[in-house]
Amino acid sequence: MSSDEEFHQAADEGPQPEEHAGHGRGGMGDDVTRKEDKRFITGRGEYVDDVKKPGMLHCELVRSPHAHARIETIRTDPAMEVDGVVAVLTAEDLLAYDLATMPTLMEDTQDVLVNDKVKFQSQAVAAVVAEDRYAATDGADRVQVSYDTLDAVVDAGEAMAEDAPLIRDDVEGQEDNHIFTWETGDENATREAFEDLPVTVEEDMHYKRIHPAPIETCGCVADFDPGKDKLTVHMTSQAPHAHRTLFSMVSGIPEHKIRIVSPDVGGGFGNKVPIYPGYVVAAAASYVLEQPVKWIEERSENLQTTSFARDYEMTGRVAATEDGEIRAVDVDVLANHGAYNAAAQPSKFPAGFFKIFTGSYDIENAYAHMDAVYTNTAPGGIAYRCSFRVTEAIYLIERMVKVLADELDMDPAEVRRRNFIPKEAFPYESTTGWEYDSGDYHKALDLALENVDYEALREEQQRRLENDDDTLLGIGLSTFTEIVGAGPGKQCDIAGVEMFDSCEVRVHPTGKATVRIGVQTQGQGHETTFAQIVAEELGMDVDDITVEHGDTDTEPYGLGTYASRSTPVAGAATAVASRKVRDKARTIAANELEADPDDVEWDRESGAFHVSGAPEQSVTMTEVAAGAYMNSPPGEEPGLEAVNYYDPPNMTFPFGAYVCVVEIDRETGDLDIRKFHAVDDCGKRINPMIVEGQIHGGLAQGLGTALMEEITYDDLGNNTAGDFMNYLLPTAMEIPEFETDYTVTPSPHHPIGAKGVGESPTVGSPPAVVNAVVDAMSHAGVTHLDMPLTSDVVWDALDDAGLARDPADRLSVGGPGEEGTADD
Amino acid sequence: MKAAPFEHHEPTTVDEAVSLLASVDEATVLAGGQSQVPLMRFRLSTPETVVDINGIEELNYVREADGHLRIGALTRHADVEESDLVADRYGSFADAAPEIGDPQIRNRGTVAGSIAQADPKGDWGSVVLAHDGELVARGPDGRRTIPADEFFLFPYETDLAGDELLTEVRVPAAREREGSAYRKLKRKVGDYAMAGVATRVILDGDGTIETAGIGLTSVDLTNSRAAEAEAVLEGEAPSADVFREAAEAAREECNPETDEHGDAEYKRRMVGVLTQRALADAVERAGIPVERGRAAQ
Ligand SMILES: Cc1cc2nc3c(=O)[nH]c(=O)nc-3n(C[C@H](O)[C@H](O)[C@H](O)COP(=O)(O)OP(=O)(O)OC[C@H]3O[C@@H](n4cnc5c(N)ncnc54)[C@H](O)[C@@H]3O)c2cc1C
Repeated sequence: MSSDEEFHQAADEGPQPEEHAGHGRGGMGDDVTRKEDKRFITGRGEYVDDVKKPGMLHCELVRSPHAHARIETIRTDPAMEVDGVVAVLTAEDLLAYDLATMPTLMEDTQDVLVNDKVKFQSQAVAAVVAEDRYAATDGADRVQVSYDTLDAVVDAGEAMAEDAPLIRDDVEGQEDNHIFTWETGDENATREAFEDLPVTVEEDMHYKRIHPAPIETCGCVADFDPGKDKLTVHMTSQAPHAHRTLFSMVSGIPEHKIRIVSPDVGGGFGNKVPIYPGYVVAAAASYVLEQPVKWIEERSENLQTTSFARDYEMTGRVAATEDGEIRAVDVDVLANHGAYNAAAQPSKFPAGFFKIFTGSYDIENAYAHMDAVYTNTAPGGIAYRCSFRVTEAIYLIERMVKVLADELDMDPAEVRRRNFIPKEAFPYESTTGWEYDSGDYHKALDLALENVDYEALREEQQRRLENDDDTLLGIGLSTFTEIVGAGPGKQCDIAGVEMFDSCEVRVHPTGKATVRIGVQTQGQGHETTFAQIVAEELGMDVDDITVEHGDTDTEPYGLGTYASRSTPVAGAATAVASRKVRDKARTIAANELEADPDDVEWDRESGAFHVSGAPEQSVTMTEVAAGAYMNSPPGEEPGLEAVNYYDPPNMTFPFGAYVCVVEIDRETGDLDIRKFHAVDDCGKRINPMIVEGQIHGGLAQGLGTALMEEITYDDLGNNTAGDFMNYLLPTAMEIPEFETDYTVTPSPHHPIGAKGVGESPTVGSPPAVVNAVVDAMSHAGVTHLDMPLTSDVVWDALDDAGLARDPADRLSVGGPGEEGTADD
Repeated sequence: MKAAPFEHHEPTTVDEAVSLLASVDEATVLAGGQSQVPLMRFRLSTPETVVDINGIEELNYVREADGHLRIGALTRHADVEESDLVADRYGSFADAAPEIGDPQIRNRGTVAGSIAQADPKGDWGSVVLAHDGELVARGPDGRRTIPADEFFLFPYETDLAGDELLTEVRVPAAREREGSAYRKLKRKVGDYAMAGVATRVILDGDGTIETAGIGLTSVDLTNSRAAEAEAVLEGEAPSADVFREAAEAAREECNPETDEHGDAEYKRRMVGVLTQRALADAVERAGIPVERGRAAQ
């Protein structure tokens, strides 16, 4: 059992927000066109698979067809006979280098190549290294592995049964498949509240297993240089520095002899936070063979073996007054972690930030209890486009609010309003121990409802019911809060490393700047957004600033990009580093202006320093930069640069109000999302266009989750959704045209008042969709449907509720009327 | 793509292709490659020789001749989708073509390849069954014509011999009072059918259904025919009640299984819904007006 640390660092310890001018040179609030897009659009991006080195070999993994099996023998010599095959590695070979296992981020130990027992389908059992990919695949085909198959268990509930097969017989003292129990909140107070209150509702829900499915799969090129004794790994990494530290810890190669480069990355979404066996095998092979080794995952390998997300079976209970005031919430969770505990979250948070489950509501009593279990499925539980299990927590509370509203026959918007944390209450201390930095939930909801003309929609819904229409209309709301931007470092760490982040700003003699950040972009637009922060702080033109990231040899140490932490943490570091540069610039400006530094003022509007009371006596940052190198003040260090490592005092709490309107075909259960309106509040918006883009992308992924995505297994442990024919991703055809709007409630503790945004839509949209579908049928008693809401799931509910229809009910043939065109 | 090694032949005539197929063991025809290439890439199919028919121009046509709509074996889904002849006279073909996969797949994949693949989830088989179509094949012993009803044996297994080339897919040319349609339910764009129904009706002078054809997708071991439902319709005047009755029969005679595309009961029910919808479309196209009620379905 573990208890989470609490977040009590005072907000006023950190640097405070300043007012922003948006000076027109690409500073805060400007829709600067993304700097990175030129190379992406013109096909000049460089992804890991584009990296080619002289003498480079290719690695292919041999994977187990079984989900649970003991390996009896592995015959590698037939593979060695294939033309072009250079080496075949098994666990035995890795043992010699002490590389047979690797630690997970949650203190478990995972086989790199299976040593004894396969624990999930497609786990890697051997690796073939060859001169090209074909030879490697030919070789992999010839490796002969004989397995003694064992009963597999894929369902979390069944894994808890007494007679369930024991998966982790490699863990000392492990006698069942239980990993940990976690709880939060006050159980007794919550139970008492339930006894006292007149209205209680309960619902079981499964937040299904899904996969981040980035367009680019995982891969690396490992290159050990025996001349320099240095290992360079180009890899698909969302956290290059953390990965360097882990590589060093696992391999024993000193950290300064390892360079991790994360070049252009085609989407991460949490999938590229963990270390996978392929990386380790490629690095080991390169070390042994002294040649570069490339390993690139295939799509099925990515879907079947790399980290999944979610897979929480939850029971939610809410107790309320008759007029809809929620007084208590209670949650029971069964968490399927797969064959290893390899979730990716701060180490002190085995359940991530799940204890945000009171959401946007002021609820006095809350309690959650969780059991996590091993199953014969791929390991994971990563934060897919969200901050560590906030998605599951918010889904739960947003669904429960709707369940309560239906029970009370109240408008769900009204129930929300009645329970929102009022804006005056911020910073707000939640029952489960978070300090929400800022929010105005009523405002966001009111704006969203006004934008969609909520009243008119409700009237239309009523009218359709009265007319017994052939399509049902449903209106779903979600008024979520997010929790992003981990640290603070004392509470949040990855493998012991505190979750700060960093930025180095160097202004060159000609007044241009190079900015290096500890985070890394996988498409979020860091090269633009971070340049805008510097442009704002230093009065420079955004085109004069280059942002670099992803190379551990040159960038300052950082913990990486995931969980919407880049802007809250590295963005803060960038503002602070820029301000340090500005402080030094003031001295240089004073020297140039022949004034006392105390008499020199910074004018944000013009981006220049001037003598107090004499705005005409001014120097620009370009002139200051020249001064720093060519006319440095006596007694001052020459140059103009600064670095900042930023440990955030708290997380930021972006929020939003979403409205989803669906139409349901009563004959087929087919869903049409007629409207999706998203009001988001991420505090100060640095580049509104990028913010909107992030919201669109996140909504598409959230809708994919709600409508079609799911990783499924059969009883034998076969992954039955291991390719894009069966793991369904939404396309433009399934996604409506999004409508977006925003409110701005700055974070009080962030130097530029910004919060993270990339993940709000993935967190907020699934409950909006499910609430809408349930809303269409709630008049007939439907209270819940599990995602994904495929048409068969919806139709079953229609049928059970007596709402399903046959076309013959409405067709009339040969009657009066025009000759149809039959093109409808 | 990491296929196992294979030999690649590119004949430019049917004769050449047929003699290649006859002379080498383990030869596999490659048409649009939209099924065959993925199988090879996963090494689920490892042919030693591939006879690539993409260079056989004589097989690329859609035309009406000698009482048939004839589709040559190299005709792509997109060619059917874009054909004016099809749009004017063959509603079921016009409905089905744009429902297949996505534009890239339709630009490469062929109608004949799809039928040779004999995936029970393929759309063309049902259409050809509903039309009482035929498949024309060439082998070492010459040409033979196989009724669609006898062509599909098992999933991915047809009456075609290993050394035979399918050269043409054909259906009887549309009659004066004929209408046909195809309705498909899928999980998302680019996906195979959860269920699909092809219908064809020929009306006699007083508007009675003289001939009815119904082909089903994804609800049996092969594309299948709803013979009972056809029998319900024949000799009746089209009406909502008759459609309902036919739909019930079709529902009864199909054999769906629960899989990733949906549960069996749902598919069965959808066979009923789609049968009614596709019958309404076909009857309307045969010249009888249909009113569809409040929902534009
Ligand atoms: C993502 C995706 C989605 C798809 N969705 C659909 C869908 O919704 N509906 C649908 O119906 N289909 C769908 N398909 C399949 C597609 O229609 C294929 O085109 C079709 O199955 C095969 O046609 P092909 O020309 O590509 O044949 P190939 O892939 O080249 O060949 C298929 C098989 O037929 C054999 N063959 C081909 N031509 C001949 C011939 N002339 N004589 C003898 N044998 C021959 C080959 O040897 C092989 O065994 C989809 C495919 C993909 C990849």
